Amino acid sequence: MNYDRPPLLDHLAAQYALGTLAPRARRRFRRHLLRSLPARDALGAWERRLGGLAAAVPPVAPPERVWQGIARRLPGARQPEPARRAAPRSRWLAWASPLLGVAFGVVASIALVMQMPERFVGLDQLAQREQSLPQSYIGLLLDAEGRPTVLASATRHGRRLTFKVLRPLELPAGKVLQLWGLPKDKAGKALPPIPLGLVPAQGTGAVMLDDTAERLLANVAQLAVTLQDAPARPGDAPGEFLLKGHCVKLW
Amino acid sequence: MSANGSEILQALLARVALGDQAALRALYQRTSAHLFGVILRISRRQDLAEELLQETYVSAWHNAAGYSASQGQPMTWLISIARNKALDQVRSAPARRETELPRDEEGLERDIADDGPDPLALLESAGDTLAIRQCLDAADARQRQSLALAYYHGLSHSEVAERMAAPLGTVKAWVRRRWARSRPGCGAVWNL
Repeated sequence: MNYDRPPLLDHLAAQYALGTLAPRARRRFRRHLLRSLPARDALGAWERRLGGLAAAVPPVAPPERVWQGIARRLPGARQPEPARRAAPRSRWLAWASPLLGVAFGVVASIALVMQMPERFVGLDQLAQREQSLPQSYIGLLLDAEGRPTVLASATRHGRRLTFKVLRPLELPAGKVLQLWGLPKDKAGKALPPIPLGLVPAQGTGAVMLDDTAERLLANVAQLAVTLQDAPARPGDAPGEFLLKGHCVKLW
Repeated sequence: MSANGSEILQALLARVALGDQAALRALYQRTSAHLFGVILRISRRQDLAEELLQETYVSAWHNAAGYSASQGQPMTWLISIARNKALDQVRSAPARRETELPRDEEGLERDIADDGPDPLALLESAGDTLAIRQCLDAADARQRQSLALAYYHGLSHSEVAERMAAPLGTVKAWVRRRWARSRPGCGAVWNL
């Protein structure tokens, strides 16, 4: 479907802004937003048009614990003081999530360090200090022989995707290493690959994503790298995959 | 939000983009009651609404650098974040909402979750100050009711059709007839 035909785009943007799209169509349009400037413009226009409707909604003061929850999630946030920790919170996640976080962190750290101890000393030290790894998307790309070759990671709500090349890659002059996200829908059906950025041939590097990792990678089950003449643009089809691997949520 | 208030929010957002947590706190104090009201109407559950409000400000914290005044008023930007989070949450659990949103014999919304104005009343009062006024004037009562249910309560296309006590196909056919008659620029929003 050509989403960017103006009448269809305007219609979809209006329905997305209103919220009336069915779940699957909503997810499809959200993915399209990441790739299409006209779609983002159309949505912006409708959000501005409809935004004023919310002005009529009577305000409701949220309880103070909401701000405390936000403050805890900001960088450099300290652990809650005992009095606050004792404050009643209704959701089971309130007490379960720290436990789960520590459990995931410990299990993930042990697994990673056992596999490649020399590579993950930094992460391990971090985990020791923080008691858990930050919520992140992590991809480990393997070469054709199944050897770990590139490690890609981004914090869940961050826009910076960092790379560590574990095995240097041969990069012919005039070529680039293009990283792709390979998303799937809920039924497990493959969706069009999303170009994410260029991978260095050796050492470490980083790219700024077009959106947060959470928005771009939530449905991405696998990452892949192709050798290309030029950086891919949204909508391009990838060539043969040089590297491929799973993309996992670390939380 | 007045122009002056909007400028203050823009300045706060600019500081938030630089990592100023005090600015986020100030932004929260000025806007959270409004956003909480919007989210509560869609999510209908206090505990979920509190989570969604948290998510909204954490998202604003991470994305403030991407905000520019050309995208609209800061409040519009924040409301879009809040509504999208609330909509994503209710779309992931539609069955739960069906049981929580009863309707009366006429298929019109009976808002039992709070004592506030019903969605149609909100729409009418909002329309007085909006560019969308001309679209409201071009619509009939059922169209207005559809828009109000969708915007304020976050109902999906099929949920709106159900709430309007008409089969989806009938509503679509009815909408197609309306399409040609509605004012330019209004069609997309009435095509529920």
